[in-house]
Amino acid sequence: MNLHDVTSARSPAEPLPPKPRNPAPVWAAAMLAVLWLIVRDLEISFETLVYGVADMGEYFGRYREPDFTHLSRYLELMGITLATALWGTVFALLVAFFLAPLAARNFSPNAVTYRLARETLNFMRAMPDLLLALIFVAALGLGPLPGALALGVHTAGFLGKFFAESLERVDKGVCEGVASTGANFPQMVMYAGWPSILREALGYVLYILDRNVRMASVLGLVGAGGIGLALHDTLRLFDYGQSAALILVILATILIIDYASAWLRGSLG
Amino acid sequence: MSAISIQSISKRFPNGFEALKGIDTEIQSGSFTVVLGPSGAGKSTLLRLVNGLETPTTGEVRIGGDVVDGHKLRHIRSRVAMVFQQFNLVDRLSVVTNVLTGRLAQRSWVGSVFYLFRQEDMGIARDALSRVGLTDKAWSRADKLSGGQQQRVGIARALAQQPKVILADEPVASLDPVSSEEIMTLLREICDRDGITVVVNLHQVDLARRFADRIIGMNSGKIVFDGSPEQVTQSVLRTIYQREGIEDDNSLDMALAYA
Repeated sequence: MNLHDVTSARSPAEPLPPKPRNPAPVWAAAMLAVLWLIVRDLEISFETLVYGVADMGEYFGRYREPDFTHLSRYLELMGITLATALWGTVFALLVAFFLAPLAARNFSPNAVTYRLARETLNFMRAMPDLLLALIFVAALGLGPLPGALALGVHTAGFLGKFFAESLERVDKGVCEGVASTGANFPQMVMYAGWPSILREALGYVLYILDRNVRMASVLGLVGAGGIGLALHDTLRLFDYGQSAALILVILATILIIDYASAWLRGSLG
Repeated sequence: MSAISIQSISKRFPNGFEALKGIDTEIQSGSFTVVLGPSGAGKSTLLRLVNGLETPTTGEVRIGGDVVDGHKLRHIRSRVAMVFQQFNLVDRLSVVTNVLTGRLAQRSWVGSVFYLFRQEDMGIARDALSRVGLTDKAWSRADKLSGGQQQRVGIARALAQQPKVILADEPVASLDPVSSEEIMTLLREICDRDGITVVVNLHQVDLARRFADRIIGMNSGKIVFDGSPEQVTQSVLRTIYQREGIEDDNSLDMALAYA
């Protein structure tokens, strides 16, 4: 049809084409059905929860008086835990830095490398860090090193995947701009890739660091050193005062890291 | 001597769209060629084939005797620079680093991945920036510049490649008339002074007439006109811009009345 005719002749508007179907309600209903089936199958009882609230209140009450007499030792342990998390993160960053470009479809040199890199990252991510820590503790003995390694391997999988997905979102034009000069793979990665995702990547690293600090506190439970081991011991001894103090130290640290990373992200614009 | 030789090129995209249907042409070394045509005529695809950003379905493109294919792509791209409509600079890098990107093909990855360049390359980048008049913006971030300035950085990057050919894919489509004039003048001057072969895709008929040595008209993947700017008459423009299946095209008449 001629465009001119449409604008000049003000005939009654044609009816709209049929509305496309929206499957969202069907999905929502299916989701609810699955949730209900799970509750029924696992015999989850909400009554237990209601009756349990009073008991839980009594239990938490035992933590009312934190005992900070060994604070300096706690802080030292927290330091070890932080160091474990930091080294784990640095390890993850190193691995992800080299693997992510290979696992990004638009940068990867060929399909085989892409698959291999992607599956390696998937494998690392699929290994729970608690399990890895158990393995490394068995292999390397007690201490922060197996903890750092476990965190590193597991979060390298995460960081690599995050980076790869960011790299895949790099503007196609920017990639072509650099590629059109004749840049090779490492040059493409360093000029079109990393500079374009720097801000996002920093956010991911800080998130992983934050997560690793929390996880490193728990890893102590399987013998990977740090504040977790101490918490494990005090809990075993029903020493609620010291346990409360340890938990508060962990919480404060995580809060500080949270604020610090928010500030860092803001200032790096 | 022809700088670019395009031999029976056709291009069909995976979605079945046939962008180019048998293109044959030679582009003379040191000439300034403008490719005109409606959107979707295949102008961009043609240019991208020359730089190896697309691969032809049949036929081949030769640059000074070398066939453009995956094999010698780095070598060919180092001699065939590209300027884009959306500039395609790396936003977070400084202007000078963006220009130095033009030197990457000449250097191994060893120094360049650490953003280290030789004095020689810095000199080339400095010359390129002064050519486009952006010496004072050298250390600004590329995304802090205006559109016209960004396109000038794009041209400086192309110059830093010290290419035989510069391909410009609608370099002024996102710019205001004054910046457009600047960019076209700059490209023309590069062609005249350095003897670099320039091929430009354009939408503006008046710019094409004023700047080109030769105009190629494309429509639906074919070359429908090839001649000097003087030979571009109203009827030629009708041939270039006619739309399939539209007999009395009022929009076409109106558009060409002021072209």
